[in-house]
Amino acid sequence: MSQSRHMIPVWDAAVRVLHWTLVLSVAAAWLTRHSPGSWHEWLGYTTLAVVAARTIWGFIGSRYARFADFVRSVSVTGTYARDVLSAREARFVGHNPLGGWMVLLLLTMVVLVGATGWLYTTDRFWGVEWVEELHEALSNILFGFVALHILGVVFTSIRHRENLPASMLHGRKRES
Amino acid sequence: MTYRLPAAALIAAAIIAIPAQVASATGLATCDSGPPDKWQPQATLTAKLKKEGWDVRNVKVDGGCYEVYALDAKGERVEAYFHPVTLERVEIAAE
Repeated sequence: MSQSRHMIPVWDAAVRVLHWTLVLSVAAAWLTRHSPGSWHEWLGYTTLAVVAARTIWGFIGSRYARFADFVRSVSVTGTYARDVLSAREARFVGHNPLGGWMVLLLLTMVVLVGATGWLYTTDRFWGVEWVEELHEALSNILFGFVALHILGVVFTSIRHRENLPASMLHGRKRES
Repeated sequence: MTYRLPAAALIAAAIIAIPAQVASATGLATCDSGPPDKWQPQATLTAKLKKEGWDVRNVKVDGGCYEVYALDAKGERVEAYFHPVTLERVEIAAE
């Protein structure tokens, strides 16, 4: 028992700081969506900077931070999803295969929301309705994936009796 | 092992999942403009602004005002509010 409770460092400091900075900047960007001034724009640029840093870290970061550690093939991910449905999925110390794809999906959606938001601030596309509507639609899709991400974290926490949000704060997880 | 954090996360997910696009008014400005059938048509405002050198991109209704997205005569990007009866410009919260 004491052996299985052994905690090891998994999420390095950069992963954790970037994760929570992204959470806060996306939430703040949403809250300032109708605010006067340039708060919303600067928060949007912050989200893009975080995604850029996380992408670089995905190649040079520590073991579990790397895309190579958690982006798995469609067939492996499909098998994992079927295992989840029949409640016999393996536990992963890093991201599980579905969680890994969720990371890519969330990073991509933030880029799309940020890019269309920036587009709207250019003289060419300022006030152009379809750009505004696309930006809003993409952000709604992003929040849908955020909700799914949180549900996945809660589900996996319960399944494997561990507190994954706490691990994203202190960086440690149970070894096995 | 405590499950307080996952529970908090679950509540957060529920809040996020509630469609947030309820209110159409942004609160940037409000106009005491009465019933919309007494308003001047949007096209009148657009034509007036074009004559002043504006490149009008979009006109919406917000808080009983006309909300205009445009490049003004100096080519600056502006989001401006106008009273729909008088077509007077309405100041919004400081940029």
